[in-house]
Amino acid sequence: MKRALCSLDWILLASLLSLAALGLCVLYAAVYQGDMGLWQKQLIFWGAGMTGFLILCFVPLRFLGLVSWPMYSIGLLLLMLIPLIGDVHMGARRWLDIGFTNLQPSEIMKWAMMFVLASWFATREARGFVNIGTPLLLVAVPAALILSQPDLGTTLVLLFATVALLIAAGLPWRIFAAALVLGIASLPVLWHFMHDYQKQRVLTLLDPQSDPLGAGYHVIQSSIAIGSGGLFGKGFLQGTQARLHFLPEQHTDFIFSVLAEEGGLIAVILLLGLYATLISRILLIAQRAHSRFASMLCIGIASIFTLYITVNIGMVSGIFPVVGLPLPFISYGGSALVTMLAALGLVMRVAIESYEKIPWQRPGSPLA
Amino acid sequence: MLNKQLETRQRFNVRMVCFFAATPVFLGLLLFQIMQLQWFEHEKYQLQADQNRLNIIPLLPVRGEIIDAQGKGLAINHIDYRVTLIPERVKDLDATLHTLAQALHWTDDKVRLLHKRIKHTRPDRSVLLDDKLKWSDVSPLSARLHHYPGINVEAGSYRQYPFAELTSHIIGYLSLANAGDVDDGFLPSEFIGRTGIEKSFETSLHGHLGHQREEVDALGRRIAVINSKPPIMGETIQLALDTDIQQAASDALGERTGAVVVMDVHSGGVIALLSKPGYDTNRFITGLESAQWQSWLNNPEKPLLNRATQAAYPPASTFKLVTGLAGLDHGSHLAEGSSFCPGYIEFSDRKLHCWKRRGHDSVNLHKALVESCDVYFYQLADQLGMGIISDTAQAWGLGEKTQIDLAPESRGIIPAQSPYMMAAIKNTQSRRKKWFRGETMITGIGQGALTTTPLQIARLAAAIANGGSILKPQVLAHIPAEVLHQVKVKPEHLQMIRSAMRDVVLSNKGTAHRALNKAVWTSAGKTGTAQVIKLSKNKSIDKDILRHHKDHAWFMGYAPYENPQIAIAVFVEHGGHGGSDAAPVAAAVIQAMATKQARASDAQVNNKPLIRKPGSDS
Repeated sequence: MKRALCSLDWILLASLLSLAALGLCVLYAAVYQGDMGLWQKQLIFWGAGMTGFLILCFVPLRFLGLVSWPMYSIGLLLLMLIPLIGDVHMGARRWLDIGFTNLQPSEIMKWAMMFVLASWFATREARGFVNIGTPLLLVAVPAALILSQPDLGTTLVLLFATVALLIAAGLPWRIFAAALVLGIASLPVLWHFMHDYQKQRVLTLLDPQSDPLGAGYHVIQSSIAIGSGGLFGKGFLQGTQARLHFLPEQHTDFIFSVLAEEGGLIAVILLLGLYATLISRILLIAQRAHSRFASMLCIGIASIFTLYITVNIGMVSGIFPVVGLPLPFISYGGSALVTMLAALGLVMRVAIESYEKIPWQRPGSPLA
Repeated sequence: MLNKQLETRQRFNVRMVCFFAATPVFLGLLLFQIMQLQWFEHEKYQLQADQNRLNIIPLLPVRGEIIDAQGKGLAINHIDYRVTLIPERVKDLDATLHTLAQALHWTDDKVRLLHKRIKHTRPDRSVLLDDKLKWSDVSPLSARLHHYPGINVEAGSYRQYPFAELTSHIIGYLSLANAGDVDDGFLPSEFIGRTGIEKSFETSLHGHLGHQREEVDALGRRIAVINSKPPIMGETIQLALDTDIQQAASDALGERTGAVVVMDVHSGGVIALLSKPGYDTNRFITGLESAQWQSWLNNPEKPLLNRATQAAYPPASTFKLVTGLAGLDHGSHLAEGSSFCPGYIEFSDRKLHCWKRRGHDSVNLHKALVESCDVYFYQLADQLGMGIISDTAQAWGLGEKTQIDLAPESRGIIPAQSPYMMAAIKNTQSRRKKWFRGETMITGIGQGALTTTPLQIARLAAAIANGGSILKPQVLAHIPAEVLHQVKVKPEHLQMIRSAMRDVVLSNKGTAHRALNKAVWTSAGKTGTAQVIKLSKNKSIDKDILRHHKDHAWFMGYAPYENPQIAIAVFVEHGGHGGSDAAPVAAAVIQAMATKQARASDAQVNNKPLIRKPGSDS
């Protein structure tokens, strides 16, 4: 037991618990004038998520290697079922009704994809036609299905994590550069295939004032909330934009503006500092991991967190168009929180196994 | 193999360095943007956040009231109640409307209309269901208001004119601010005086806006009141007008079209200023229908015209006083001596008749005024010439605005004032605009191009009574007299005129004898009958004459004769004869004044026994 405690990555855990505390405070402020029940629910989600986190700390990684392919297959099957029997909710067909709850297959697929890619690159480098082409094909099929739902956010996550893993697996830079150029060149084609609401979001980003009460409203109001917060914020529960409901979706996608309004730049720096600690800790674990599979897994998870944070804060502060990705550990939402905590559980497991198997690499060791 | 593994591991380490480097790049980009918003552009966004949350609600002032000399309300503020509904707060719309319909006696059509209106309104905005309600209508409802969420009963005030038709011209009316007023800083929901006192004293009556700063949420709902500045009510204005006298004049005039002005001869206070027909000024407050407005505009009797100040008519024989004063002032031998009236006067190739075809035989100024002989004044005017008559008329306040605080006002016409007529009088050789001798002569009896307003004539009567002071007519009570100018007239000349005016009432042959001789107050005056068209041929068919061809009837005078208090001018449009049609109205006014004063002195006498001894009553 003592060994197990020693092997835990305490810095990772500390930054996670700090994020939990900060997130619950911000959510309290966000729902203060509305449904306080949401805050209690989120507390329960944290409990469930942390349980999952702890369980995964004790599940050997090789087990994951076993379930990754079946998980991928099931995920792909469910994705293909969606166009046939999926539930339409807010204009998108993303959900499957499985009796007691609604299942979002793209959420399963996201993680299954990462496991599959990690195990693919565990024994291979991203060099050569087959080694690069096979994983791209594995990604392309579910990505196309998810994009057609339409769910731009999850598709982006999938592609971003794939690119991160390819780079980690040693993708030659010239291929990366060529793909980047090709990607930028194909943007007009992508534009052509985008849905009207997605185009509208991009246009709104370029000029939010063009439609201040329509599509631009969200971005304008969240910019006002953030900007009016100033250096030190308006104080806990004192944000006028949040309190008077000028902020859209203030407990989910736009929760960052509540934090920025009430806590100011100080709180923003605290949050970004915690995220920086968390991500660099995951990357450090990736580097110290005993197996290439474990490294890949951690890099994938780190890349997903980075994308979530960047896209969410970028969207709320007007850098990116509105794409519905939650702010990790802060936004209200059970399934996102539980899966992210589970992912961190895997990272923690990697840390534990590294400590067990390569004692000279354990944190704090003079040999490290 | 080991080499390959080492190479892979090395490459992996390089890539890891890239990831470590990339993380701060991503987070730094975000931090840069947030700093931009929170640090460099903070003030701009702070302002926008305040604009979002603060709402400034104007609080309308209550308009000052207008009361008469007795304190009777002429323009008052009536408290009314309105019922509004906020759709999103109503649980069961149909049931709520049904209950309200029963309580407020709505028709099915109204309920249907309201349904439609509610459907087309934002659910968070209040909808007006019913207004202009009395407390008795809403009191059962407001007691049970908590049973009907979303329903509000609000109190408001609106202007009411208790004597709308009687005082329509002097009080005037209001209407909502138009685009021009909004540019001047008024709110579209504010009422602004358009005519009469309501317009002249707009700045005093209007009051000052207050405001309330409120915090509102994204849907515009009020969350809290931050601060408020209450509105300041407009001043209450007391008029010199006496509603009872105005009413008496109106009753005497009946359905006829015309104007009556009663003035205090010393202060210039306007005791009555009536123009008939009047119109219902309350209609402007409830929202005037275009059809109603059009019918007023197109009515041949022109109810919107203030005949007392805005309309000028030939003063007819009342002007003979001015011609007489001009003669006396210029030492005309005719004014001091006498002449002969054969019933007509001949000059050049023309013949002008006296109203009395048989003639007045020998006439002096006194007799000519009492019996209103035309021929005498034709001769006098011919002797004096147009210039002297014009100057005298102007000296007595004709042909100029009286400066009463009731714009717009007509100045009337004195022929010599008009530039082209002046040229015509001076240059009689001018071919085109020739001023004929006859024109001066008919001006001498108040016909022709000469016109005056009833207010000017009342002021002339007041000036004769008070010794030649041309006063500014004062609409407000308790204002000291303002003498615009003093006529230089010899007291003995004025006395001659006054005694002639006295005999108009007193003498058997006086034109107002029958109407006024038996009045409670002694009075002096002069009648006038203004010809509208020439009816010299057959005067006997009077009754068949079209109404609009009938003569205008005038009376002007003052009372009591010995101790003048009031000056009166009565004008009856197409009324017939001054003596028989206008003078009785003056008699009614004098009767009302006398009754009023008698009652006031009675009250003073009777007040004394009313003081009770302490303890005599439980």
